[in-house]
Amino acid sequence: MFPNPVEKRSSGTRLAYKLSLPIALFLWLLPLLAIFMTSIRPASDIAIGNVFGLPSSFQLLQNYGEVFAKTDALKYLANTLLIAIPTMIMSVALACLTGYALAIYRFKWALPLFFLFVAGNFVPFQILMLPVVDMSNRLEIINTVPGLVMFHAAFQTGFCTLFMRNFMKALPFELIESARLEGVDEFKIFWYLVLPLVKPAIAALCVLIFTFIWNDFFWATVLIQDSASLPITVGVRTLNGEFVQQWHLVSAASLLAAVPPVLMFFAMQKHFIAGLTLGATKG
Amino acid sequence: MTTPSVNSTDRFATSTTRVSIAGIILAICVVLLLFVISTSMIQELFGLSRQIEARVPTFLARMGVLITALVAAFFLVTGLSYYKRNKVAVAPWLFLAVGLVFFLVYVIVPIFQSISYSFTRWDGLYDINGIWTGEWVGLHNYRLLLDDPNFYTSLKNNLLWLVLFMLAVPAGLFIALFLNQTVTGIRIYKSLFFFPFVISQVVVGLIFTWTYNPEFGLLSKIWGWFYCDTKLNIVGNLTRVCSVDPPSILGDETMATYGIIAAGLWPQIAYCMILYLTGLNNVSSDQIEAGRLDGAKGWKMLWHVVLPQLKPATFIAIVVTVIGALRSFDMIATMTQGGPFGSSNVLAYYMYDQAVGEGVGRYGYGSAIATVLFFIMLVYISYFLWRMYQDEKEGN
Repeated sequence: MFPNPVEKRSSGTRLAYKLSLPIALFLWLLPLLAIFMTSIRPASDIAIGNVFGLPSSFQLLQNYGEVFAKTDALKYLANTLLIAIPTMIMSVALACLTGYALAIYRFKWALPLFFLFVAGNFVPFQILMLPVVDMSNRLEIINTVPGLVMFHAAFQTGFCTLFMRNFMKALPFELIESARLEGVDEFKIFWYLVLPLVKPAIAALCVLIFTFIWNDFFWATVLIQDSASLPITVGVRTLNGEFVQQWHLVSAASLLAAVPPVLMFFAMQKHFIAGLTLGATKG
Repeated sequence: MTTPSVNSTDRFATSTTRVSIAGIILAICVVLLLFVISTSMIQELFGLSRQIEARVPTFLARMGVLITALVAAFFLVTGLSYYKRNKVAVAPWLFLAVGLVFFLVYVIVPIFQSISYSFTRWDGLYDINGIWTGEWVGLHNYRLLLDDPNFYTSLKNNLLWLVLFMLAVPAGLFIALFLNQTVTGIRIYKSLFFFPFVISQVVVGLIFTWTYNPEFGLLSKIWGWFYCDTKLNIVGNLTRVCSVDPPSILGDETMATYGIIAAGLWPQIAYCMILYLTGLNNVSSDQIEAGRLDGAKGWKMLWHVVLPQLKPATFIAIVVTVIGALRSFDMIATMTQGGPFGSSNVLAYYMYDQAVGEGVGRYGYGSAIATVLFFIMLVYISYFLWRMYQDEKEGN
């Protein structure tokens, strides 16, 4: 293990390390703490400059309640779920299929097509923006939730395929070979043999894609102008304009937008991290 | 074979009923799809007006037909004797079909469309008959780019982003080394340090806009400890008097970009940290012990023994950081919108601003900017693919 474990050092070093941990964490999360403190204080506190001290009264429920009462925050959150969940299902399902084709079959197009998915996944969004807007316009799905889902699902299929293919490549190939010799149909091999084995990869991808889509801002701004279909990230920015000088509400709304991915992360931490390392380092 | 009476060639025969039923369904779906897409008659037939409310049901109906068509096509193909004889050759294409077409339509084809837009002048509109209203202008947009000071500012800022964003890699390594211990509760510390990455960039942008606020932001508060006093003014209210006024980072042309990059580094460092923490988990303890016996310690150990083993983690950290730097959009949109006076623009934001920002859309010019950004990114993508190709060759 590197660096040397503190247990093996002197008790003084150990104590210093244990003390430095909370201090470092405090400094690291200071901006977040500050905005949380802002979100639970009354507006009058900010006006007189009491921004980081104790709030004159704790208004956690009032402030967050006001965000819901005064704005469409609830609708924005619902829209985000309506965008994130179908996208997650579509792209992961498609990637199971494409990943299987690219990992298990040895045909000459396997590697070029895999690289096509990988390359497409890394292109800047701006190069796709105008044609996608144009296409959505002509299909009459611009400004709608399904229109955004279609694009996200297609784009995320690239990342999911990268991950899924690498994961499936690591499966024992002899297993599939012997099933084939037994005369099992290709689709039965996929469904009964391979899918159960890649459950961890599916979980990792679901968590990641959900978070990615939840946090998406660019595509939502580009493809949706209609406030009835806006997701929370764009909604929060709109609120920022509406609540000029009402920092306690702006910060409450911002934190609300951050809660679901954070919960997801803490609930599914292992899968989340496995996904982020692109399956390159197993751990 | 469980039933010996079945002739072995039957395994490869076309299953007639299945194929014909699937064929009929497929034909119906194709007709429906062509009909619905080519005309709006269905909508008028059922009295659905072409309003936004009608869009979603129409779309869902089309999707339903499309999925039925795909399922029918699947049964049709797998019922054919040709498939049964060439399973291993045909099956991968069946697995690929939907995902690949979807990806081609939404990702690969638009790249080329964008490049072709960049040779035109177009505002994104069609006339009443659905005819494209743009005109072909050759390299005109690129010539305009060369004389556009905003383009150079954006390019310079992109470079700044690339260089400064790289700090996330060593900083992430540093924090990972700091946290790579086994004291009680360390898991919670690790996840809390990772926290900023999970939050949306829009929220990070808002948090830092607030932090940088010269009147009541966190930074001005800290500034106040050094340069400001709180005094009673003539009326008797408490006011803050500063010997040097706190800087307005996002309002200052020279500092805005640095301010946004610093905000962007926060989640990026967290990402690199988690990559290195997983990497450190896999560092072989034998080699470290061997290094210790050889007298390697501290920096030497890090440089000669640990870092070489962290190569995969470093590679991915660099890749995601470069991509993050070139994709920076959300933060600029939330924090400065490219301002003040375009000083914090990057290509990604400038393109958006030109193409669909306020005023008229300049699709052609926007696409030219996007094309430049794409080719910059392509350098890194090619490098990444080349490295992957090397790994694949070794693997097989």
